[in-house]
Amino acid sequence: MNTVYFFILVPMVYIAFAVFIIGMAAQVIRVLKKPKLNASLRIYPEEKPRWFWSIFDSILLPTVWRHNKALWFFLIAFHASFILVFLGHLELITEMKWIQLIKHEIFLGKGFVGLIMSIALLFFLFRRFISPTKELSVPEDYFLLVLLFLTVVFGSEMDWARRWYDYGEMSVDAYRSYLSSIFLLSPKIADVTTSGHSFMLVLHVFFANLFLMFFPFSHLIHSIFAFSLNKIRRG
Amino acid sequence: MEKRIREELLALFKSKLSRPMEMYLETCARCGICTEACHAYASMPLPKYTPAYRAEVVRRIYKNYFRWQGKTVPKAGECKKLDETIIDELKEAAYSCTGCRRCMVYCPFGIDTQQIMSIAKLLLVGAHAEPELLSLLADVSISKGESIDSFKEGFLEGVKNLEEEVVEKWRHEAGRTPIPTEVVGAEILYVALAGAHSIIPAAAIFNAAKENWTLSFFEAVNFGAFVGDPTKTKIIMDRIINEAKRLKVKEVCICECGTAFRVMSQLSGSRPFKVSSITEVHSRYLKEGRIRLDKSKFNVPITYHDPCQIARNGGVIDEPRYILSHLTDNFIEMSQDPKYNWCCGGGGGLVALGEETLDFRMKSAKVKAEQISKTGAAILATACENCHTQLSNLNEHYKLGMNVQFLSSLVSDALAK
Repeated sequence: MNTVYFFILVPMVYIAFAVFIIGMAAQVIRVLKKPKLNASLRIYPEEKPRWFWSIFDSILLPTVWRHNKALWFFLIAFHASFILVFLGHLELITEMKWIQLIKHEIFLGKGFVGLIMSIALLFFLFRRFISPTKELSVPEDYFLLVLLFLTVVFGSEMDWARRWYDYGEMSVDAYRSYLSSIFLLSPKIADVTTSGHSFMLVLHVFFANLFLMFFPFSHLIHSIFAFSLNKIRRG
Repeated sequence: MEKRIREELLALFKSKLSRPMEMYLETCARCGICTEACHAYASMPLPKYTPAYRAEVVRRIYKNYFRWQGKTVPKAGECKKLDETIIDELKEAAYSCTGCRRCMVYCPFGIDTQQIMSIAKLLLVGAHAEPELLSLLADVSISKGESIDSFKEGFLEGVKNLEEEVVEKWRHEAGRTPIPTEVVGAEILYVALAGAHSIIPAAAIFNAAKENWTLSFFEAVNFGAFVGDPTKTKIIMDRIINEAKRLKVKEVCICECGTAFRVMSQLSGSRPFKVSSITEVHSRYLKEGRIRLDKSKFNVPITYHDPCQIARNGGVIDEPRYILSHLTDNFIEMSQDPKYNWCCGGGGGLVALGEETLDFRMKSAKVKAEQISKTGAAILATACENCHTQLSNLNEHYKLGMNVQFLSSLVSDALAK
């Protein structure tokens, strides 16, 4: 079991990050190498400055707000939570005073951020079982949602255990010791593999690794291309 | 399907993989926001009429041959092989889409289904499975461009026969030709459609505005774009571009034809002349006081259908409203926001296919008929030949009891002497 834990917590993490970074770069380079289209694909009327409105469209999703308010609510809640969770993980690597401008115990959101993400992911998943989204969806769509849901649930569980159930065996310092050591290329897993809750961390990291590895090769590439595409629409 | 044919089709597919196209094919999250955007789905709620479903037909081939998924886990993306069975799917997807791009307004990423459908149409051309009539019409346009001298005489004679009707509408100054052709250095080259209705009102208005204009030898409509053949589209477009360069005109004015206007104004790259729609030119004449309109001519409510390729996709939105404000005090907006106006259901070559597509056009545009009916207007104006035909068909089919008119005809009929 120790070998499995070690593989997931150390080599697989490096492999996942390498696949993610190289995969994303390769995707962007591949698209950039394609010829530009000598045509305008914009939609009118124009609103200027175009760069501002394309960022506005990409971040605030006004078209979704107009046509499906429930989906908009969950999309915004999910993406905002994703950013907070990302910041929380940065705080696990090293202390960042600017994030602590709002005084908080790591992570931000008192456990509710993970809960919101989990609910949003269930919403995204279940709406795929309803026509016509059902007919549009392919197995990859379900797989990615389930994978992300498992990542979030096992990750959040560690947060919930500490905050809501006073579980103290694995502290923020233990997580920080592990994650910072990974980033300093001198991995130490002892602090996070001895507790009864270690398997939660291992599962969280396992699913996160898989998610990172699939990310560049799925429609999640919209995290980058959404801005370019909205710019094309804005002209 | 033979290996050689498949390879040829894949080469055609690859030729369409521009930078935006790659992003359109990679990014769709299949969220389904676009479903409500399509008039066909709104009228006949079947998943195959959703924009994302149509795009998936192409995307699944793309993933199979151009992405890792096709080579590793094709089932994950429901990747599809390019064979005979998919040709029918491509045809249904491509020719149930009018290319109105209303779905692009809905999509959070701005994915252009019309662009993706251009791959489907090109594959159909490559597989000789496209609607033959559209290819035939495109070929006729091309051969006309190649042998201009052989039809010149007949064209000029036909134009001469229209001059009397032009003069009836607007008696111009003596010594000037009512329908001038081959005028080197003219301000405007007017590109009409094959038909008197596209030439007579326009000529009367140009003459009323004392414009230095000349009529193009070529018709504006680009059947190459309808059939989705980029080579033919360019050849047909280049006939007009070369004529404009030869005559050294300052501006090319496209008649009331949505596709012709969009192809020339948005998809032809940079040109040494300005491109305008006839609606823009008429609006300009009114602003400059070069023509005046008699508001008492039409004492009934008028509504206006924004042709997708001219308004949402071409940017001509305020101009028709400015013209209508000079035609009537009883203008009724059809859509609260012209960007969201329903497509008439006749674009993308569907109207050109005539009876063959009539049943689908009528069923898929039910929502459009309802929208028109709600206005309560007596005159339904528009500025696109395709839309005019489709709206006339809808008017008859749904018994809307409207008078469908070209905006330019209303302007020429209301010219104040």
